[in-house]
Amino acid sequence: MDIVLSALQSGLASLASYLAAHVLLCLVPAFFIAGALSALVPQQSIIRFLGPDAPKWVSYPAAAGAGSLLAVCSCTIQPLFAGIYKKGAGLGPAITFLFFAPAANILALSYTGVALGAEFAIARIVLALSFGIGIGMIMAIVFRDSEAARLAESATFAAGEGISQRTLVFLGTLVALLIAGTLKVDFLKAELFSGELPWPGAAAGQTLLDRWVPVNEATGAEGLSLQGAALIVLLGLIGAAAWRGLGQVDNGFNRLTPLALGLTALTLVFAALGMRATENGLFLTLTGRTAAVAALCVLLVPLARRFDAWDVQQWLWETWRFVKMIFPLLIVGVFLVGVIRIFIRPEWIQTVAGANTVLANLAGVVFGVFMYFPTLVEVPIAKMFLSLGMHPGPLIAYLMADPELSLQSILITAAIIGKLKAWTYVGLVALFSTLAGLTYGAWVDGAPLLVLGAAVLGFVTLLVTSLHLIERTRRARA
Amino acid sequence: MLIKILGSGCAKCNRLEQLTREAVGELGIDASFEHVKEMDKIMAYPIMTTPALVIDEVVRASGRIPSKDEIAGWLRG
Repeated sequence: MDIVLSALQSGLASLASYLAAHVLLCLVPAFFIAGALSALVPQQSIIRFLGPDAPKWVSYPAAAGAGSLLAVCSCTIQPLFAGIYKKGAGLGPAITFLFFAPAANILALSYTGVALGAEFAIARIVLALSFGIGIGMIMAIVFRDSEAARLAESATFAAGEGISQRTLVFLGTLVALLIAGTLKVDFLKAELFSGELPWPGAAAGQTLLDRWVPVNEATGAEGLSLQGAALIVLLGLIGAAAWRGLGQVDNGFNRLTPLALGLTALTLVFAALGMRATENGLFLTLTGRTAAVAALCVLLVPLARRFDAWDVQQWLWETWRFVKMIFPLLIVGVFLVGVIRIFIRPEWIQTVAGANTVLANLAGVVFGVFMYFPTLVEVPIAKMFLSLGMHPGPLIAYLMADPELSLQSILITAAIIGKLKAWTYVGLVALFSTLAGLTYGAWVDGAPLLVLGAAVLGFVTLLVTSLHLIERTRRARA
Repeated sequence: MLIKILGSGCAKCNRLEQLTREAVGELGIDASFEHVKEMDKIMAYPIMTTPALVIDEVVRASGRIPSKDEIAGWLRG
């Protein structure tokens, strides 16, 4: 019985610390950005670079861009993948798009950055970009003969409207809000004002929270502060207001819409406030971060007013749709990770993946391939592994393989490009994820960045050159 | 009038169908609906993104949800 209780408590503690500390500051703005990308960026603005006549150096980066900007939603991934493959730039860029999308969309990146650290987010995007393009090019080389059969249809890729300036400014402000809330730089941490708010219940409240959610450094349980508890309550309130306020906004703004948005801004500002319980009250610190977050929230209002009402409604509706789709899964996932955590011995993880070896990286990849976790749940799982002593190298290998290779994505690929190509792709992703883990692990262990960068760059250059040569000989023969 | 909604059955596609049905109802037009979900049939149209709205085999919108006024404009033709 004891073990069940402590498992449940561990699950709740993990949930509480995620909700209070990690999720809020990065995921709330990230959801709004994802909504804006989905509703306000005309897809044609990127798709026009993916036509059948586009040169390689345009189509591959454009495919990666489409992956991170347009594909926050599974609605878009499948038709875009099929479209690029069958009508446009072909197998190579389509594969790059498919590989890059789950690792580099705004939600995955910001969540990885906050939960695991900025260096993991940067490693994820750099490695996914170079290896995504690499895998795409290898696939294009291996299957070059079947390429000609595609139906080229340039009309679909006619230049449409670009991204308007007001959309860029709006997106930029949202990204600035995301960064202001999360980045650990000095001028954001600088203290502007501090003072004590007398409240005799503060110490008692904190003691109560400590008893419910005990701090345990050995297992990485972070406990729950008063501020964290207040944030969880605010999140609940946002959810209640947004259910109708944002969920039905496409029928027109209703009374709950401003309430939900106001609560969101309040939550972000409150989360950026420094707060700790003292013996006779609450000690509050107003930092540069608090001011920056508040200013950006205010700035968003006039910027949003420059759009048509319909566009703003679409933006909010999309945002809420993402929240509804991802958040419940994330909560269940984080809870289960907390439960499982107390059954896993650090020694197991350290024996299998404690050092940056080929085998350890392979283990990370295999675990990623056979376990299927819903979007973003791979991040708390990776954090658990990290705290249990997994080496960062195998961890990156796992982070690369898990979202790329789910059963779902393998089936979609197989249906569109055929079984042989799909399984070749799976094999390549497994291989490249291992390589990615080894590269990152070597960097963490102290290998000079220059050498590793040169190796990765050289590898991709080799692929580009051979693809170019093969295409030229083929044209010469034709 | 034949109205086709192209899409994999995602939330956006259903929302587009709902909006179009409302617009059709308000205008009192006689129209039949078809929700095309097969990727091959979707790819037969010159589009890259779903949801897409096809009215009498003309692609009116793709990759976004048009507003009801916009849809009504196309329906009046």
